[in-house]
Formats: sequence, C-alpha cells, structure tokens
Amino acid sequence: MRWRLWLLMAPALALLLAVFAAPLLHYLWLSTQAQTVLTGLRPQPIGAQQWLRLWNDGRFWQDTWQTLRFSAASVSLEMLLGLVVALLLNQPLRGRALLRTISLLPWALPTTVMALGWRWIFNDPYGPINRLLAWLGLGAIPFLSNPAITWMAAVGADTWKTTPFVALLLLAGLQTIPADLYEAAALEGATPWQALQRITLPLLTPYVLIALLFRLAQALGVFDLIQVLTGGGPAGSTESLALYAYLNAMRFLDFGYSATLLLGSFAILLLLCSTAALAWRWSSRLQGELR
Amino acid sequence: MSGSISDDDGFKGLELRQLSRRVDNHTLVDQLSLTVAAGEILAVLGPSGCGKSSTLRLIAGLDPVSSGDIRLGGRSITALPPAERQVAMVFQSYALFPHLSVERNLSLGLELRGVDKAEIKRELDQVLTLMQLEGLRQRKPAELSGGQRQRVALARALIRRPALFLLDEPMSNLDAQLRDNLRAELRTLLRSTGVPVVYVTHDQHEAMGLADRIAVLREGRLQQLGSAETLYRDPANRFVARFLGSPSINLIERGATQLGLRPELLELADAGSAVPAGWEALEGQLSHSEWLGDRVITHVQCPGQATLKVLSREAPASETLQVRWRKSQALHFDARSGERLPGSSDPHTV
Amino acid sequence: MARLLLLLWSLGPMLWQLYSSLRPSEALSGVDAGGWTLEHYRQLLQGDPPFLTYLINSVVVGGSSTALTLALAVPCAYALSRLGRRQARSLTALVAAAAAFPAVLLFLALLELARDWHLANQLMALSLPYAGLCLPLAILLLQAAFADIPMELEEAALIEGMGLWQRLRWILLPLMAPAIASSALLVFLFSWNEYPIALTWLSRTELLTLAPAMARIAGSSVYTIPYGAFAAATVLGSAPLILLMLLFQRQIISGLTQGAIKG
Repeated sequence: MRWRLWLLMAPALALLLAVFAAPLLHYLWLSTQAQTVLTGLRPQPIGAQQWLRLWNDGRFWQDTWQTLRFSAASVSLEMLLGLVVALLLNQPLRGRALLRTISLLPWALPTTVMALGWRWIFNDPYGPINRLLAWLGLGAIPFLSNPAITWMAAVGADTWKTTPFVALLLLAGLQTIPADLYEAAALEGATPWQALQRITLPLLTPYVLIALLFRLAQALGVFDLIQVLTGGGPAGSTESLALYAYLNAMRFLDFGYSATLLLGSFAILLLLCSTAALAWRWSSRLQGELR
Repeated sequence: MSGSISDDDGFKGLELRQLSRRVDNHTLVDQLSLTVAAGEILAVLGPSGCGKSSTLRLIAGLDPVSSGDIRLGGRSITALPPAERQVAMVFQSYALFPHLSVERNLSLGLELRGVDKAEIKRELDQVLTLMQLEGLRQRKPAELSGGQRQRVALARALIRRPALFLLDEPMSNLDAQLRDNLRAELRTLLRSTGVPVVYVTHDQHEAMGLADRIAVLREGRLQQLGSAETLYRDPANRFVARFLGSPSINLIERGATQLGLRPELLELADAGSAVPAGWEALEGQLSHSEWLGDRVITHVQCPGQATLKVLSREAPASETLQVRWRKSQALHFDARSGERLPGSSDPHTV
Repeated sequence: MARLLLLLWSLGPMLWQLYSSLRPSEALSGVDAGGWTLEHYRQLLQGDPPFLTYLINSVVVGGSSTALTLALAVPCAYALSRLGRRQARSLTALVAAAAAFPAVLLFLALLELARDWHLANQLMALSLPYAGLCLPLAILLLQAAFADIPMELEEAALIEGMGLWQRLRWILLPLMAPAIASSALLVFLFSWNEYPIALTWLSRTELLTLAPAMARIAGSSVYTIPYGAFAAATVLGSAPLILLMLLFQRQIISGLTQGAIKG
C-alpha cells in the first residue's frame, strides 16, 4: 500500500525537484563558470572567481542594503496595517463579505499592472498626489526621481498591494480564537485594549509568524514592482538583488555571475528567515520559562 | 472458552486464530482466538482502548494483521483486501456519504460493482421498505435524524448481502431512550441475516441485551467468552466481574484474597443483629442512598473497607447497619492478579 | 469611518486609473481640457497586436497551468494526507518552504531549461514551471482538505468494494469540491500575475501574457509617456480579475483562510 502512495506523489515531487531543487544545484555549478559574451556564451570553469567578484562588488552590497531596507520597511508596515485591517474585517459589520473582497483586490492584481498604475499616480507633476499638493499650494514631491524618496514610494506601492494578503492570513487566525475568551475577559472587567494585548496578540502569534516569514521571503526577492515602477533608478537607488541578477543575465549576458548573485540572494534569504524563525522559537521558549 | 472447530473447514462462521496486531512496540490485539457461528451475534465488550475496535478493523481488512489467521466460511480471508471479504460494516459515525442521497448511499457500491439496474432497484425497494426508509429516499444524510442515519447505515450494510456483519458501536451516537427501544429491533434484524455478526460495544447493557455471547477484552487480550449469564455469574476474573453489572460488584479485602459481592445479593439488617449460620457480615454507617424507583441503592461505609453498595427493595430504616451475605455466594479473587480462585461456588445457588 | 478609509485605500488607486483612462491625453498632461473619451481603449484594442491577444494568452496559460497543477497536486495531496504522520510532516515542511520561495530566483535556470528543451515562445509550455511553482500552495491547501474528510468515509467506500480511483471519483473529490475550486482560483491568479518567467520565456509580442505585456507598454516609449494608454491597460488588465474575485470571493477567501489555519 505504501508504495502506491509514493507513486501518487511521484509526478508532483518530480516537478517540484525540477523546479526548485535542480535550479539551485545548477546555480551552484554555474557560479564556478564564466559564461559571458567573451567566452562565446559557453561555460568555462573559473573556480571561485565569481564568488570573489561578488565579495568585492560594491553594487552587490549596495543592492543588498537596498533590498534589506525595502524588505524591513514594507514588511513591518504590512504587518502593522495588516493587523489593523484584520481586526477591522473581523468586526461584525454589514456588508463584511463584500468589504473583505474589495480590500483583497489590490493583492489579486498583477504586480506589473499595479506598478504601472502607481507610476502614473506618483507622476510629477500630473499624478493625483502632486496635483493635490499643487492645489493646496505646496511643492510637488519628486517621487520617482529623488533617491531619498523613490525607495519609499516603492515601499508604499508594495504595502498597498500586499497588506490585504497579510490581513487575510491574520483574519484567518483571528477566526480561530473562541469568542468566549473575550466574554470571559469582559466579565472580569478587561478593557478592549487589554483584551487585544492579553488574548488576541498572544493567540495570533503563530499566524503572525507565518505571514512574517512568507512576506519576508517574498520581499527579499522583490523584482516585478521595482522593474516596472522605477527600473531600479534613480541612479540605481532602488535596484534590488533580484533585479541586479536579472540584468546580469538578460542585459550583460553574464550568466555565471547572475547565477552567483542568485545564490547570494538565496543565502541572504535563508539566513534571515532562519534567524527570524530561530529567534522566534527562542523567545517563545524564554517566555514559556518565565511563565 | 467455546469448543474449537479449528480444523473443520466446513465451518460456516467466522473464526479468529491467534490473531495479533502490533504497532511499533504496542500490542493492540494479542493472540485472540474465537469463533462466531452463522446467525450468531457476538458482542465484543471492553473499555475504550481494549482492542475491540482494532479487532473489528482487522476482520474488515482495514488494518494489516501482524500474525494469526482470520477464516470465514471455512477459508482464510487474512490476505484478502476489504473489498473481497464480503463483509459489511456499520461505523460508529455511520460514515454515510454526505454528498449522496439515501438511495445513492445504498446503491453506489452495487452500481460500481456492475450489478444490473433492475436488480439494484429491486434490492433497494426491499431494503428501504424493511428499514422503513421509503419516504427518505432523496434526503441527504445531513437532513436525517440520528436514528434515521443509523437505519441508513444498517440498510447500506444489508443491501450488500454480506457474509459477515460488523458493527462498531452503532448505538453510541443515539440518545439513551432510542437506544433502549432499538435493541430488540436490531437483534431481530441481525439474526435474520443468518450470517455471523460481530458487535463491538463498551456498553454492557447493549452487549447483554443483544448478543448471544459476549467476549470481554482487556488490553488486547480475551478475558472471557460466554453468555451474558455465564459472564455475570461465573466471571473468570475480577476485571470481568467489575465490568459487568450495575451497580458494579463490591470488593472486600481479605488479606491475599478479595471477595466479590454482587449488590443484589447483599442484605441489610440493623447493626448488632445476629448473623445466621453460613452467612457473613460487616457493620457500618449509612452513607447515602439512591432511589431508583423500584429499587434502592444503599451505600454503607464499613470501617477499613470501601463503601459497600446494597441493592434492595426497601430503604434502610436506621443509620448504623449490618450488611450480610451468604458465604456461598461470594466470589473469591486473588488480590494481586485478580484471577478467580477456586472455592467460591456459583454465587446464585443457595 | 474606518471602513470608508479602507475602501478609499483599496479602491482609490484603481478609481484614479479608471478616471485617467477616460480622459483625453491633453487633460492628463495639465492642459485644461474637458470631456471624456474612449480613445485610449480604442488605441489599445486596435493596437498591434490588439490588447485582447494578451488577455487571451493569459487565459490560455492560466487554464493549462491550473489543469496541470490540479492533476499533479490532487493525487500528491491525497497520498500525503494518508502517509504516516512522521513522513508527512517533514515532506509538508519542505513543501511549505517551497511555497514561500520567491520564484524570481529561479528564472535563470528555468530560462536555460526552456532553451535546452525548446520550450521558449510556447504558451502552453509555460504551464510546466507555473505548475511547479504553484504546486506547493495547492498541495498544502488540498492536503488540509483531504485531512478534513473523516477516514471512516473512505474506509466505508473501501469495504463497499471501491478501488482507489472509484473512491476518489465518487467519494473524495465531490467532498473536496470547495477546496479544489479555491486552489484552482489561486493557481489561475498566480499564472495571470506571474512576471519574471513569462518575461524570459516569451519574446514574441503576439505571445505575451498580460504581465510582461504591461511592462512592455510601460517601456515602449521613452519620450512621450502615454499615461492614458497605461491607465486603460491597467483597467483592462484588472477587470477580468476583479470580476473573478467578485464571482468567487467566498472560495478565494475560505481557501486562503483554510490554508493558513492548517498550514
């Protein structure tokens, strides 16, 4: 009987290996090769040179910093706003189902579509925000042309698109909390704020962790949004690791280095996500001991 | 234990030979041997976790056998998949297919086995009539009451014309009133199939009211197999004695021995009364009494002993009481092992 | 009040696009021009290739990816839910990790795969990587749904003499319908929105799916930025999805919710 179960899983597992595992192994090999226009686009073994190059590549470290900055800002904003929206959507309101669907819409739209939309909204001077500012007699904000501002514009667009997803995950968590806990708390005279702190947040933590890890991984791989909204500009100030790797492969035709960059990004991702998960486990164990 | 017919391949019933199931280091069913004749209802009785459901699943072929043999109608079915065993099973949850109507629940199995349409219709009409389900043909399980669901589950088992009928606590989801009413009905129905019936339950009343014989299981091992009366009057050990009877049997410590005293065999007298020859007595304080309508259970706290329960017609008249019994009616058990000791005669003979 | 804010936050940007798409180009670049126009839509729909082509391509890719994903995920999820707890747990953890993996990191290797196997510029072939990328989520969702079906139902079917295929066809899949519907929707959504792989696998304009087509429109002209056309494209590209969301809101929300609770 057992082998029949494995037989049923085999096609899916094979495709999963082909799509997830094989590429990573392939990169490992490709990162030891030079495969550029200079080599006639044929791979030539060069040992660890690509990795040395990565280590000394200022653009890689700059992009790492920019990607981390983007991820930290947008993920924390999304978690915060997502929690607020989830709490709101969990209230018994009229038309709640429709409100849920509408608030989920931004998440369902293709990133490229909405990035294009935001490019128009951030337009200087004709986008709605700058028009409003002009109407109020204030100066325009150079959303897409000032390195100090553009990354925040990207964070804003990403937050708009992804908050609904976080909210939905947290909403799922909220719905698992039994209502009688709140009734019991109310009987003991707890204020809504205390109930949020003592009941909601502790019971929601597993869902927060799931959403956090998922969003962190996705944000560290940000590509679509940046490519369409800013193209990495101005002056490379919003370029992400994934975009840099993409440019290396598709524009500079430097496949070996692109693979190295992709693996480098993956390593950073793995490091951050496992740190987050371990820190989480450690802190919850600590809390458990304190209690 | 019942007479072994182990080498008779003409035996029409069900036979388990040294049946065992082990999972990891855990023995769920341990060397279980028993027979159930065609037309006989065997109740498998025991507390939860005693291996009774595991046994049923082994017979049905839902779990693999670790060792031993299952024989039905004179041939081994141990290696057969469930589909080929010709067994019918009624699950505790009934396991009705929730998306199908009553009619389809009954007919799907036949259809998929390629039984012809007209025949299915005939069988369907017959079984639905028998089970008084005609009016509910098109209902979904969710639209039925608990009792109706149970009838559908039975009907689904009946329509297969099985060679063996297995029931896993089929009454446990019904309320007590309905259960009492259904017992006789179910017994007649199961008898009429003419095939061996194995009925798993943890409810002694159900087992005693329904079954021809009862097998008591504990930790996967058969404790005793016999008629309800045998088990009650002549239990093989303390476990069986305590499991059957309500209120349960009183146990009195006597050094290395324990005396087992059925509550209805105890008599109450005023404290200090003379103890007749051939009787024994303890004295104690009235703790409380439970009035059951026709009977009273009197709890008497005797110094150094557990509270004794006495079942009698009349409520006790005073606070200090003598509890007494005929010596010949006490059951003797080894205090350590719980095994029945010789020397205690049938407690009901005077 | 909070509700209004949420509505404004969610719908505002989209309404602005709708508004922009209906205004003449001059009005969008500050010139005080009144009136409404369908000119931007006409341009898009009569473009070369017409915008509708991208939509159709996306539907084709979405449909085939969904079918392939389900065909692989259903048996896998079934087996996973019936496998012993120990083995299933570690497999499920791997699958969950894959579900969170950002697909963009795989584009280079998948591109080489497309080149080696001559899969580039073939619409249906895109469903291979798409199915691969969607499998984790679909498997998690379906596995949770399979685990919700009481074991006794399948055992009853087993005793009735049904084989594996019959049990799936007559008992399990009908009970799984809601979970299957929501996984299908999520896979469709993913392939409708996927960008980096479509971008690298498809180069012929008439084969582009919506996401790379949008990006191409964005990058098409350096000097005049056709924001009216952008907005119209945004509206046309979102409309089918918005419709889908409104039609199947329950499935999508319950599907995601279930996945989160069980996962």
